[in-house]
Amino acid sequence: MMETRIERVLLQLIAPVVAIFFAALLAAAILHFTGADAGSVLGEVVAFGTTPASLVAVVNKATTFYLAGIAGAIGFRMLLFNIGIDGQYRLAVFFAAVVGASVSLPPVLHVTLIIVVAMAVGAGWAALAGYIKVTRGVSEVISTIMLNAVATGIIAYLLAPGRLAERAAGSNNIRTTPIPSSGWFPGFEVAGKEVFGFTLVAAALGIGFWILLNRTRFGFELRASGLSLRAAAVSGVNSKRMIFVTMVMSGAMAGLVGIPQLLGSSHQYGLDFPAGFGFTGLAIAILGRNHPLGVAFGALLWAWLERSSQILDLLGVSREIVTIMQATIVLSVVVAYEVVRRVNVRRQQKLVGRSEHVGIESGATA
Amino acid sequence: MPAPAIELRGITKRYPGVVANRDVNLRVESGTAHAVIGENGAGKSTLMNILYGMVVPDEGEILVEGTPVPMSSPADAIAAGIGMVHQHFKLADNLTVLENVILGDEPTGRAGRIDFEAARTRIVELGDHYRIPIEPDALVADLSVGNRQRVEIIKVLYRGARVLILDEPTSVLVPQEVDELLKNLRRLTGEGLTVIFISHKLDEVLTVADEITVMRNARTVAHTRPAEITSRELAQLMVGSELPTPEPRTVEVRSEVGLRLESVSTRGRGHETSLSDIDLTVRSGEIVGIAGVEGNGQSELIETILGLTSPVGGRVLLGTEDVTEAATSIRRRLGLSYIPQDRHREALLLDATLWENRILGHQMHPPINRGVWIDRKAARADTERIVADSDVRTPSIEVLASALSGGNQQKLIVGREMAGEPRVLIAAHPTRGVDVGAQAAIWTRLSAVRRAGVAVLLVSADLEELIGISDRILVILRGRFVGEFDPAAIGPEDLGAAMTGADAA
Repeated sequence: MMETRIERVLLQLIAPVVAIFFAALLAAAILHFTGADAGSVLGEVVAFGTTPASLVAVVNKATTFYLAGIAGAIGFRMLLFNIGIDGQYRLAVFFAAVVGASVSLPPVLHVTLIIVVAMAVGAGWAALAGYIKVTRGVSEVISTIMLNAVATGIIAYLLAPGRLAERAAGSNNIRTTPIPSSGWFPGFEVAGKEVFGFTLVAAALGIGFWILLNRTRFGFELRASGLSLRAAAVSGVNSKRMIFVTMVMSGAMAGLVGIPQLLGSSHQYGLDFPAGFGFTGLAIAILGRNHPLGVAFGALLWAWLERSSQILDLLGVSREIVTIMQATIVLSVVVAYEVVRRVNVRRQQKLVGRSEHVGIESGATA
Repeated sequence: MPAPAIELRGITKRYPGVVANRDVNLRVESGTAHAVIGENGAGKSTLMNILYGMVVPDEGEILVEGTPVPMSSPADAIAAGIGMVHQHFKLADNLTVLENVILGDEPTGRAGRIDFEAARTRIVELGDHYRIPIEPDALVADLSVGNRQRVEIIKVLYRGARVLILDEPTSVLVPQEVDELLKNLRRLTGEGLTVIFISHKLDEVLTVADEITVMRNARTVAHTRPAEITSRELAQLMVGSELPTPEPRTVEVRSEVGLRLESVSTRGRGHETSLSDIDLTVRSGEIVGIAGVEGNGQSELIETILGLTSPVGGRVLLGTEDVTEAATSIRRRLGLSYIPQDRHREALLLDATLWENRILGHQMHPPINRGVWIDRKAARADTERIVADSDVRTPSIEVLASALSGGNQQKLIVGREMAGEPRVLIAAHPTRGVDVGAQAAIWTRLSAVRRAGVAVLLVSADLEELIGISDRILVILRGRFVGEFDPAAIGPEDLGAAMTGADAA
């Protein structure tokens, strides 16, 4: 029945719309009570956020968020909380930067090697958490949080002059040796600003994730395990293997989080390399319902909010208002999704009830 | 004549797609043990939940001692002196008996402190008075199932209940514990309390009940006394005209083996029963029934065949293939199908559509499986077929599985498990919790796959079901097979006796 499918999609869209609207309302109220003119602030924010330079910056930032979001979504799809995305990507991008700078290869091969190293390190780091969950029953929430701290320690040790890093000339930054230009991922120009070329790769990965989930046996088993681990096991899914593989895949995706930045602009890993995208990724995955399109939307929204908030300081408004908005969106979207889920089940039960009734009546007259 | 302790008048409760209770009337005299019997899905549990305030009826009224009482929550029921002992105990394992009993009803002394001494005294007094001794300071985790049930009973008495509802109290007990419980129930009614209990076991009902109400298909269909009826007649009342007439066993059992277990033993984890030295052969075209009180190794047997538990000894064969070490997916590919007893937990993805549920367990089978790909068109087409063939009442195959009623969910599962030419089918309580119409349809289908040459293992607690459709019945007790019976030559009473080990001694 096409009708129910369309209705279901619409129902799904209601939740984030309501959540964003609610968050905007709350932000406006806070602005109002702190004495700012909510209307004019909002106008300025939108005006700044829609300049071409802002939009390009949003897309670039969203690429990073998207990869983190998909890494989170892979885990969530099977009820695994990969809190370790943060540690996985930092370790991955660090080693990718080190390896990338230490070899000389022709352009395409060089970039490929860097990407493979990043994915392998991310996957390997997540695999540790997956392994001890499967063999020892250690919750991945605990182990990945601890592995984040371990990753921080490892990087702190190795990112030192004389080990795997050097002091940048004329600054206090300590960084890895820059990757030669054969290991850069070319971007493309839009409105005079450069968009990361890796954005296209991220989009392709999103499509790949969708195909994997919806069209393959592996994807079906992954989703089934997430919906009911026991039912999936009875149907022939090896739960332990599934947990391990999912964790590894999530880690491999997490390994790519720092890659747009590394290959597209900084070309080195230093003390100033952005961190903390792991939790952002999880929030975006929740907002996007672990669906590749939803996560893309969430990543763009997040990036836009962060970018536009830069104008707030100039307007004399505290920038934290955006953090409040983001938090409100995530909290209210979780509630809204649950409400929508219940409404949907009840609606379907009614439909089914009606058809059963009809069935019984026609059965009686037959 | 004094007013009855409990009277239910014209109770009706509808759920989406199902009427669970239809104009139900029940009259329970004070100081009696009243049994409510009926098949799974007859509406007994709903009725008891209504009486205990957990479910609010759409129509009808509840009278306690002749006065109508609005019952909208268990708190109302407790206030009216009604207590319930659930089939699955609601105890906190890491608290003591004393703490569990007073939980939610703590006697407070000065400054809001819990007066444990007063509580202890009350509990010991209650135990002495009704001769249900319990140790107040024992940890619940250390207690046997029978003792936990006593704690539940004391808990209800502690709250001042005059009417006790017990939901299938004997289904979890071993035979000695059953005897003990039945004695305890007698003592309670002897002291003037009223006991209402749900049961499937006709022999128990006939020994302990003063009065019996029979439910069938959401209605109360009969009210009688043990002296006035035999267990055969009771069974007829329960099943009604839908009682399947045992097919003439002309179907020739083929010689090829579908499923064979050779001296299989398992090591139970925690409270599980372990299998010891199980030998079992199910041939193609044969239905072998496994009879037993729940918890005597049936789930371990099923898990071992599915490959979810590895045996510590012995071999499991599907056809001629040794699958002792094989993964569940390999066994599935070899044609192993399974209709589980707990469909919500083991057979369905409740938040997925019907056609996605059709894939479950068949993701490795063509036509749905095409290498690494899933053919969604084939899955949808075959779901449409099942919906049409098995009369699954649904507006579309795009609805979520959770939207269907229990009977329709089960019809979908049965249709799915019979698709793709299974070689071996395990059916565990296949008609539990489904209405009579669906029940008959499922029995017909089981007989049909038998004719098609499938080896069927039927695990059930429903004696009529076992006798009605099995070719052979094996009785399982504490992880061993203790007897084999010809269903044509055995009645439910004898089978019941064998299940509890009463005849073995």
